[in-house]
Amino acid sequence: MIKNTFYLLIGCIALALLGIFWYSVEINKPLFIEISFVLGIVIIYLARRKVTDLIEDERSAKITEKAALRTFQVFWVVFCVFSISAVMQILRVPSFPRNRTFEHAPNILPLEIMPSRMIGYVQLGLLCLMIFLYVGFRFYYARKYGEWETDEE
Amino acid sequence: MHDMTQEDLAQAIGVTRQTILAIEKGKYVPSLGLAFRISRYFNVNIEEVFTYEEESRMIEID
Repeated sequence: MIKNTFYLLIGCIALALLGIFWYSVEINKPLFIEISFVLGIVIIYLARRKVTDLIEDERSAKITEKAALRTFQVFWVVFCVFSISAVMQILRVPSFPRNRTFEHAPNILPLEIMPSRMIGYVQLGLLCLMIFLYVGFRFYYARKYGEWETDEE
Repeated sequence: MHDMTQEDLAQAIGVTRQTILAIEKGKYVPSLGLAFRISRYFNVNIEEVFTYEEESRMIEID
């Protein structure tokens, strides 16, 4: 398989996944898109091994490695921040003891559990952040290691 | 040797042309293995192809 065919295949899989995602939302079955997503990744992985003219040398491997590492370093901090707030909601922190001295004092209400729709928005934001971080870092390191350098040849 | 292109060298040592170009421009420092492959391809010692500068830490290819 040549490189361009592989990229075309990725595009087709991405479009198919988008359609499946839409359908999953319509029928309200997240498992459908989840399985499809894993299958899509497996197909891309298997197809990539068949590409003959895609040279991955140590420089491109270094670009990928650096971009992935930096993405992870930034992402886990942001992810932890959101996770801590979510865990706090589960544990209902702070749950201060009720004021027993003044019977008529207003009770401190426990925090509301984060609605599932809100969790979805947060997850969507995190997903987009991860993609943007990776693409951004990839551009940065590709530029740093001379990906778009030109010569007089 | 003088009419050799970057593409020829890249294919011979199994890297992309961009990698050769990046090494030439000092944007990328090759691994020891790649440096040896390049020098062996030209049948010269590694010091004849690459120089190490302590201050700027730049490696140049002749």
